[in-house]
Amino acid sequence: MNLGLRAQQKSVLPREAGAASLDVVIAIMAFLAALSLCAVLIAQRTAQDWRRGLAGKLTVQVLPPARGPVQPALARETAAAVQVLKTTRGIFSVHELSEAKTERLVEPWLGKGALVADLPLPRLIDASVVPGRHVDLVALRHRLKTAAPDGYVDDHRHWLARLSRLADTIMWSAYGVLGLIAIATAATAAFATRAGLSAHHDIVELLHQMGAHGGFIASAFDRHYLRTAFFASLVGAVLAAIVFAAAGGLEYVGLKPMPFLPPLALSMSQLTWLVLIPVFGGAIAWATARLSVLAALRNIY
Amino acid sequence: MVRFENVGMRYGPGPEILRDVSFALEAGSFTFLTGPSGAGKTTLLKLMYLAEPPSRGLITLFGTDLATASRRLFPALRRRIGVVFQDFRLLDHLSAFDNVALPLRLSGARMEDFRQDVEEILTWVGLGPRMHAKPPTLSGGEQQRVAIARAVVARPDLLIADEPTGNVDPDMGQRLLRLFFELNRLGTTVLIATHDRGLIATGQSQELRLVDGRLVAMPMVRP
Repeated sequence: MNLGLRAQQKSVLPREAGAASLDVVIAIMAFLAALSLCAVLIAQRTAQDWRRGLAGKLTVQVLPPARGPVQPALARETAAAVQVLKTTRGIFSVHELSEAKTERLVEPWLGKGALVADLPLPRLIDASVVPGRHVDLVALRHRLKTAAPDGYVDDHRHWLARLSRLADTIMWSAYGVLGLIAIATAATAAFATRAGLSAHHDIVELLHQMGAHGGFIASAFDRHYLRTAFFASLVGAVLAAIVFAAAGGLEYVGLKPMPFLPPLALSMSQLTWLVLIPVFGGAIAWATARLSVLAALRNIY
Repeated sequence: MVRFENVGMRYGPGPEILRDVSFALEAGSFTFLTGPSGAGKTTLLKLMYLAEPPSRGLITLFGTDLATASRRLFPALRRRIGVVFQDFRLLDHLSAFDNVALPLRLSGARMEDFRQDVEEILTWVGLGPRMHAKPPTLSGGEQQRVAIARAVVARPDLLIADEPTGNVDPDMGQRLLRLFFELNRLGTTVLIATHDRGLIATGQSQELRLVDGRLVAMPMVRP
């Protein structure tokens, strides 16, 4: 490289002493931002899975009768309910869950063993609705009441609404955390810029005195903080990606996912969203540093 | 080129450093600013190179009234002025070459266009072999020469120098003075603040003498 090009690339600002601590702070905030972003992605995916799994489904629950022999009554009412469902317009598939499968469903709450075997569990019937078709639930309930007095229809609307609210709450909370981290990053960059301005006051004053435009001086600072924030955020995002990739790998080493919790693993296409972290981290630091320097220069004659 | 009319200057609530200073420097003139320590020479220079606004009075620079001009014009005005600061004010992390190239970078010139100019001026001030050295490794005299090279490299319309030969030997002092005269011959207006009477005696020049904040010898202000 010739002398001229080497000189042209030389920054008018020296590398700041103590800048490494800024790198660490930004890397940590980027890591937290990446975790929040992953939480958003997991919440979105889980809500979608739930909706996809329950939309277009009806479940009929036949409860054990309060009096009389349980099993014959349950079998009779269940058969009657299945018949009602099969003759209902708009329903294309009816599937009665076996007792074993029902026991597996309650296993996370009650465990397995003699206790569950002794409990009078309800019978469950799963029905699928033709996509786009409407089932008259009032009429269905009425017919069911006649054929199987202990049968209840659940179209999951209530459950879906609650899940949707939960997913939205998680998502908006994570967005809120992302917003707070963005503000904290901007505040850190502003603080670091002010410290930098103070540390390099003589250089800034000299450049100003020599006729440098505010943009020239600001660009010396904002490029510095853009680079710093970009690479520090990249480190934070990569660390978060490693964490989630490792969480995905737990199943492969035999560790089962926690019951009721959505899987933490993210696909490669979801992990690519983490690219946004260094981009936004750099942009926030760049804009904050630039505005801080330009504001400070306005106060110099 | 430069006109001061009844200019006064005080820092905060302190006493007036400059009082009713009026003079004019014609384009292409060569002027020495003299006076005892504390007379206000550096303050007067600061007003001239737009480091401070005056407390009162009018300053006109390159035909622009500074009191009414937009601050947006100031960077362009400042780039027409070369300043040799008494404390040099070099950037320690840059080489002598990069320090001297700074005014040219600020004016937006391309490095390949002015590299030769920078090398020539550094060679002229006797720093050709040390152009890649950084200021902390240079002697006081060498730093002063880098500061002078930086002030003149862009061939400014106005050169202001505060004790520019204070740290060099008499031979180098004369050599630097010749550089100022050469620049003046090419059209630059030169104002040098100095205590060195020997320097003043060397050429055809005018003198501004400041005593206790007042001008006691001055070029006449034309009506």
